[in-house]
Amino acid sequence: MGIPNIFCRKNRILLGELVKTDFKLRYQGSVLGYFWAVLRPLLMFAILYVVFAKLLNFGSDIPHYPVYLLTGTVLWNFFTECTGQGINAIVSRGDLMRKISFPKWIVVVSATSTALINLAINVCVIIIFALINGVAPSFSWLLIFPLILELYSLSLGISFLLGAINVKYRDVTSIWDVLVQALFYAVPIIYPLSMVMNSGGSFGDIAAKIIMLNPIAQVIQDARFCLITDTTITNWQVNSGLLAFVPILIVILVLSLAALFFRSRSKHFAEEV
Amino acid sequence: MSKDKRSKSKNSTKSAKPAPSRGVAIKITDLHKSFRLPTERAAGLKQAIFNRLKGIKGYTEHQVLRGVTFEVKKGEFLGIVGRNGSGKSTLLKLLAGIYHPEQGSIEIDGTLVPFIELGVGFNPELTGRENVYLNGALLGFSNKEMDAMYDEIVHFAELESFMDAKLKNYSSGMQVRLAFSIAIRARGDILILDEVLAVGDAEFQQKCNDYFASLHGNQTVILVTHSMDNVRQFCDRAILIEEGRIAAEGRPEDVAKAYEGLWK
Repeated sequence: MGIPNIFCRKNRILLGELVKTDFKLRYQGSVLGYFWAVLRPLLMFAILYVVFAKLLNFGSDIPHYPVYLLTGTVLWNFFTECTGQGINAIVSRGDLMRKISFPKWIVVVSATSTALINLAINVCVIIIFALINGVAPSFSWLLIFPLILELYSLSLGISFLLGAINVKYRDVTSIWDVLVQALFYAVPIIYPLSMVMNSGGSFGDIAAKIIMLNPIAQVIQDARFCLITDTTITNWQVNSGLLAFVPILIVILVLSLAALFFRSRSKHFAEEV
Repeated sequence: MSKDKRSKSKNSTKSAKPAPSRGVAIKITDLHKSFRLPTERAAGLKQAIFNRLKGIKGYTEHQVLRGVTFEVKKGEFLGIVGRNGSGKSTLLKLLAGIYHPEQGSIEIDGTLVPFIELGVGFNPELTGRENVYLNGALLGFSNKEMDAMYDEIVHFAELESFMDAKLKNYSSGMQVRLAFSIAIRARGDILILDEVLAVGDAEFQQKCNDYFASLHGNQTVILVTHSMDNVRQFCDRAILIEEGRIAAEGRPEDVAKAYEGLWK
């Protein structure tokens, strides 16, 4: 139960085996297989690009806008995939819970890790597109790793919290689906943040500040800043002082509270699932 | 040997408990367990809120184990019998750490390999080989340990030429043979089997029976079964559970008679 043995050999082996299985099974029976991991965000990107960049002419003031857009959609896709898989992890492995005893968090981490692997592939795609698009390589690209860690921590926290509630109340998945839809428009993915700031005077500025308090928005803007263009408006420019640290604080708080809640609930999973 | 202790005691007075004496593999003391059975389907937020508002509890308390105490010695082959719903499986799940006791304690000396069901986590889309390693990892074995067991498992299952085929292409008999072979080849100090004896065709069943007979005295086994033949044939000692309590305990012959007497 204690913290020290949480990553003991036995748990690592089980986690590794479950990750391998999940990844192998993900694209089982599809002709294009793993290629879908790349193809899906690219297709979504293509749609958004045609609708927003070409038809509505968003982001004409942003250099390398297509890659900028791609970065946003890839990170957003990661967040939705990760939480979607994570929240359902316990319920979908219910048969295991009832038959065998093992640390339950392993199931959640293994379910979300497939999304992490997909993200790794997609980041490579972003890099290739960026180079084609004429973005100069830079050491700031390495900052993508802590940013991914932050976004993953948030996703994991949400998965632990909602996944544990989902065992008893299956409504959670439906609620989350709707919430994610709404959240998509609250994050500057398809619209540039400058558009919010330039509209409605001081209201626009306040709206931008609030938007950037969202850890997802903070991560996406920061990722764009260090990968593509330093003209990206980030949380660190919009919010000042302690307020700028709110997104990171939210992540830490969500993950630690969710982990505690998950741990206290997990011994009842076998009976309730 | 690793020592594992799970206990939850309602009365704090009996805090200091003597450790199991040498030669005892499992010591169970005054085990209680009850379940909440949902009455009106409470699986849903709406129903939960409704029940809360109407003052309906949404469940009835069902006492499954009402104070079970026994010991299993090292190398002993213990049979647990009882009718459906008497609490046998719940007892095994408590032993396996799947459920947590409400009251009482479980002390286990050694590693425990539970088979509440054969082939836990088996996936039809994976190959036989992949399934063996996945199943092994779920039981707590490392890849290295599984490597050491792998050939034996495959040989016992007689599936040498099928291990790279997907499990969905196995016949049902082949699937249980594979699952069963993992169960009996898995090296642990204590083996727990729930109703999984003798699978496959007559020849394979004979092989299983021979294997169980050979375990005698070397391996601690707890076997839950409805077959009194198995109890008489394999067990050193048996326990009859009835309505969550131990109704009879002792020689397999006596317990088997007591079990058969339940319907008279």
